[in-house]
Amino acid sequence: MFSSGSISRPALFKPVPIAPLVSFRIAFGLLMFLSILRFWYRGWVSAVYILPRFHFTYFGFSWIRPLPGIGMHLVFCCMAIAALCLTLGWMYRSAAVLFFLTFTYVELIDVTTYLNHYYFISLVAFWMIWLPANRSYSLDVWFRPGLKKTMVPAWTIGIIRFQMGVVYFFAGIAKLNPDWMLHAIPMKIWLPAKTHLPLVGRFMYETWVAYLFSWFGAIYDLFIVFFLWNKRTTPYAYCFVVLFHAATALFFPGIGMFPYIMIVCSTIFFPATAHERFLSKLPFYKKEEQPTIFRYQKEKLIHKILLIYVLLQLLIPMRYLLYPGHLFWHEEGYRFSWRVMLMEKSGATFFYVQDRNGHRQEVNNAAFLTPLQEKMMSTQPDLILQYAHFLAETYRQRGVEHPEVYAQIYVALNGARSRLFIDSAVNLAAQPVSLQHYKWVLPY
Amino acid sequence: MRSFFLLLSFAILSVSCLFLSCNKDKKTGDNNNNTNGFDKTAMLTQYADQLIIPGYQKMQEQVSALQTASEAFISTPSATTQNELKTAFTAAYLQYQRVAAFQFGPAETALLDAYVNYSGGLDYNFNTDGELTGFSVDTATIEANISSGSYTLTEPTRKTFYAQGFPALGYLYFGDNAVTRLDSKRAAYIRSLTDRLKALTDKVSGDWNAYRSTFISNTQTNVGSPIGNLVNQLAYQMDILKGPRIGWPFGKQSNGVVFATKCEGYYAGISVALAVENLSSLRKLYTAGNSGKGLSDYLVALNQGTLNSDVLSQFDAAIGKLSAIPDPLSQSLTTQTAAVDAAYKEIQKLLTLLKTDVASATAVQITFMDNDGD
Repeated sequence: MFSSGSISRPALFKPVPIAPLVSFRIAFGLLMFLSILRFWYRGWVSAVYILPRFHFTYFGFSWIRPLPGIGMHLVFCCMAIAALCLTLGWMYRSAAVLFFLTFTYVELIDVTTYLNHYYFISLVAFWMIWLPANRSYSLDVWFRPGLKKTMVPAWTIGIIRFQMGVVYFFAGIAKLNPDWMLHAIPMKIWLPAKTHLPLVGRFMYETWVAYLFSWFGAIYDLFIVFFLWNKRTTPYAYCFVVLFHAATALFFPGIGMFPYIMIVCSTIFFPATAHERFLSKLPFYKKEEQPTIFRYQKEKLIHKILLIYVLLQLLIPMRYLLYPGHLFWHEEGYRFSWRVMLMEKSGATFFYVQDRNGHRQEVNNAAFLTPLQEKMMSTQPDLILQYAHFLAETYRQRGVEHPEVYAQIYVALNGARSRLFIDSAVNLAAQPVSLQHYKWVLPY
Repeated sequence: MRSFFLLLSFAILSVSCLFLSCNKDKKTGDNNNNTNGFDKTAMLTQYADQLIIPGYQKMQEQVSALQTASEAFISTPSATTQNELKTAFTAAYLQYQRVAAFQFGPAETALLDAYVNYSGGLDYNFNTDGELTGFSVDTATIEANISSGSYTLTEPTRKTFYAQGFPALGYLYFGDNAVTRLDSKRAAYIRSLTDRLKALTDKVSGDWNAYRSTFISNTQTNVGSPIGNLVNQLAYQMDILKGPRIGWPFGKQSNGVVFATKCEGYYAGISVALAVENLSSLRKLYTAGNSGKGLSDYLVALNQGTLNSDVLSQFDAAIGKLSAIPDPLSQSLTTQTAAVDAAYKEIQKLLTLLKTDVASATAVQITFMDNDGD
């Protein structure tokens, strides 16, 4: 898939049938719509974006803030409408822009809600803006038949396939670590909690099952995309996709929408004929006999952008190599790298604010953070630092002069016993937020 | 094309190899660990039948005894009846500590903890003068309720929580001049508080009969599951102990400024006894009363024997240091600072073990949100 021939300009702009793109648009929009409803129904809009007094922001995005009042509900409302418009192919370009902006905005509000599949959705939504996914079987075409095209450049489908490939492949690479492969951890920890499952439940205490899960997961992630991409193996590979993700949804319901997103998005690998067969079963679908080709202007520019994007997508997950220390412990370069269900980590944090006379008082985290925020903060150094800076500012406003912030943090990683996570003698308030290695995190 | 099939066969081959090698491992190595046998339903049954249901039944009895002693005190207020009342009050309050960690199912629905022994919650800024936080008693509202004679005790607000339950009864029974101030209006309020205590206890105890089957049949560990609840309650009760029970009145959040009146059971002066009973009950919860069917045994079955013995000895260390503080805690907070500090340190160590190591080892979730699995 990464051979030089397939990323040459003629190959990328070769006209191919539009059908895969059309059914992807319909399925993706519908899935997003349902995800948004689920998020809403569970009360998470309030719990995550309205109730917290403090938000953990991404580096460089600290200016992103949630909207007051019913603002966040309106944002979700717009997002849901945009998702539906994507499915219908109605005012497609605006809908895609609106969906991308609202979704990405919401995800940028609080780091503690980061999920790899949210990042995936943001990336796909970005590409949707530029893809001609509304040029067939859409309301846009219904109202303006002149827009209709039957062929699109190959890269418009290839980019989504590539993105799927990146998710799987790097998820597989990430599993190639001693804990996962040699010790079957965290599966060994997680599976005994699943004995309630029918039929398979009683095997969950067995060590070999943990190894089976670990190895099968790694091999699946590493290779599934190649079998999906190969036309002759696509249907078999897709059966694996469905079985695998049905299993993950069953075993780890806490993972949320991820299995469903993968099951739905993997259909992009099916050949155009399969998609045409699927679409022909939908109402009002008419196969156009006369081939018409959608062409981009500035192919050269698009080609360059595509190459840069591909390069970035391959480099960003590997950026952790630039940092010293144990990746799971320091988590430097951990996010945006498709590390899903990879480790078991938990922590307990005790923060202290000290004034210039050395008087020390303890902080009640629950007074500032939600349980989710506290849980996520307690194992991630960059969030610990953000919180420490927030505490310094808060206590300064409460009248503590030159507040210094110290923390005693204990973290248990992958079944090992908890140990001190950061240097308790370091004044975190004086440590700068940066992308450089945080030396105040104790070595693993 | 051929290479794909090669890959596939490689994949299948490596998985089968692994199967075989691991099976061998198991036969030679892990045979002694009896992980296969751990029965979660038996564990939950033990909790329901030996700790929870009898605990609430005992509390029903103790609250009835409290009502009797309370009536005796009301009909002939004297130092003698007050003394007898103190015994019954203490017994009932201590019994409540033994079920305090079972705040799920019927107790959660009834808001038992909030109405019976309100801790003020963790997400509230304790360190505020004049505000009702921690185990405060709202004497102003209580007096207003007494003189007006019209009030509601069933509204789920901080105001009503702080005007009833054991802490409020403690004020009415053992507050300044409790004997001489007792009149018909105060007696009526006392009665409505003890009646409410009885009604709540009866309700929760009765509801457990129906809830028992739901409880023992759910062996999941997600949020809201019985095992999840037990582990999360261990951590929560430790948070309450470290915060509202000991640490916050001690001034840990307030630069050493002590809040003596915010001690649990302040007017009865039995805060340390209550805290020790609470912590001992947590230990009992953890081991399911040394029945061999508790969370501790589950950890052992998961090959976490060392962790389990560390947790047990940390329980003992914390209980030991806590017991060394003399009651009333409200005075010891200023006169016995070294003892309180020592207990506080051990409590924090135990909290860390339960919140990180034990929660991790049992794969219990603490929030409802989707997660990437860490």
